[in-house]
Amino acid sequence: MNVAPALTFDRVTVRYERGTAPVLEDVTFSLAAGERAALVGLNGSGKTTLLMAAVGLVGHEGEIRVCGTPVGRRTAAEVREKVGFLFNVPEDQLLFPRVIEDAAFGVLRRGVERKEAYSRAAAALDGLGVGKLAEWPLHHLSHGQKQRVALAGALVTAPPLLLLDEPSASLDPPGKQALARLLGGLSTAMLIATHDLEFAARIGRRFIALDGGRVIYDGEDPGAIKRTWAMD
Amino acid sequence: MWTSWHDIWGSGRGPAARLAPQSRILAGTIVFAACLTAPALSAPGVALIAATTAAWVAACGLPVRTARSFALLGLAMFLPYFLLLPLLVKGPSVTSPGTGWAGALAAPWDILLHGMAGVLVAGATISTLTGSDLRSGLLALPVPRVFTAILVQIIHQTSALLAETKRVAAAIAVRGASGSGRAALRALTSLPRVWLPRIVDRADRLAAAMEFRGYAEADLRVFGQRAVGAADAGVIALAVAVMALAAALRWRWL
Repeated sequence: MNVAPALTFDRVTVRYERGTAPVLEDVTFSLAAGERAALVGLNGSGKTTLLMAAVGLVGHEGEIRVCGTPVGRRTAAEVREKVGFLFNVPEDQLLFPRVIEDAAFGVLRRGVERKEAYSRAAAALDGLGVGKLAEWPLHHLSHGQKQRVALAGALVTAPPLLLLDEPSASLDPPGKQALARLLGGLSTAMLIATHDLEFAARIGRRFIALDGGRVIYDGEDPGAIKRTWAMD
Repeated sequence: MWTSWHDIWGSGRGPAARLAPQSRILAGTIVFAACLTAPALSAPGVALIAATTAAWVAACGLPVRTARSFALLGLAMFLPYFLLLPLLVKGPSVTSPGTGWAGALAAPWDILLHGMAGVLVAGATISTLTGSDLRSGLLALPVPRVFTAILVQIIHQTSALLAETKRVAAAIAVRGASGSGRAALRALTSLPRVWLPRIVDRADRLAAAMEFRGYAEADLRVFGQRAVGAADAGVIALAVAVMALAAALRWRWL
């Protein structure tokens, strides 16, 4: 059976306002089901915009598909059901007062019965090492704990695609290591926006590099990216 | 000294905190209305306001430290009205039939008593509710869903906004705008200009996350609600009785 790629970008251009310079320009790449890739680039290169476009949070020209479904205004809800998204700042996506409520929300709103939803959320929190925080109010958590809770909320629906925006930002070295180990152990397809090449290399082998909104490299050699950043 | 905004929510440990969330909100609202309705310029009215406030604060189990913070907040808000006394004592009193100092004292006293009672009753009610209780309580009452969703989110995000405000204020201070006099005034006036873009940016990101997670479309009742029991009905009936007594004293039915 032919499985649709988890994510495809075909000549995608994004402009925030008509007539202005594009933030993403002519971006083309594909991510196979279960494949892991790092989306690397310096600050302002368009990484976050690309992730937002993939779930229809910003408009685009060209074609984006998530698991075969084209991304558009009408299909946005269907597309988002297939994606787990970790926003750059975890506080932005934690919308409920208690940890367990936030983690369970994704499944609850899909119509899963409350007991079952809470049990799945508890399992997701356990898997990320924050199971004991389930009843805590969110404002008592550290940044790293909030990030794990946000990730649990993204994983709880077992989506076929994960889009992670700078997941290692603000984490200490042990925290980064633990997160890399955890993400490396997942079988879902994922695109991880980061400028931390070492972190990216721990999770997958493929690197898609953005510069000025264009893909300038798509391959397996982090050295090539370092050279474009003039780090070598 | 001041307790953090988020830690006040759900800190009450009194018997009222064990009622269904919707009963706590409803009873708190009725008690609040009763305290504002009872006349502050008659002895029975003052007694009713004081007794009702004290009873509700005790029933909610508002922690002493938080109660003290609310009392100080109330005093800071309403005592300055007494500064108007020299103006009021010269002019005709519009709030009471008295003249001279007695008449002038009537208006600030009215504001102080009602204001303090309002602050304490609202604070005590808040202390019986966690964020989850507030959501499920409002959803069980005839309140528009969208109002509930927005209100719950505003309260939930307040700590982040307060933290952001503290960071902005600290950054302004570190960059040389601290001190007193003109420098402090400059820091104060520049705060909104620095603060507003950050808050707008944060609101933008929050809106994107809410849209992605389907927050606006979701029926928040999925989190479940608590049924109302006999104790809830009893407390609400008592609150209604107090409200009726306050109205009777106000409009001299008694």
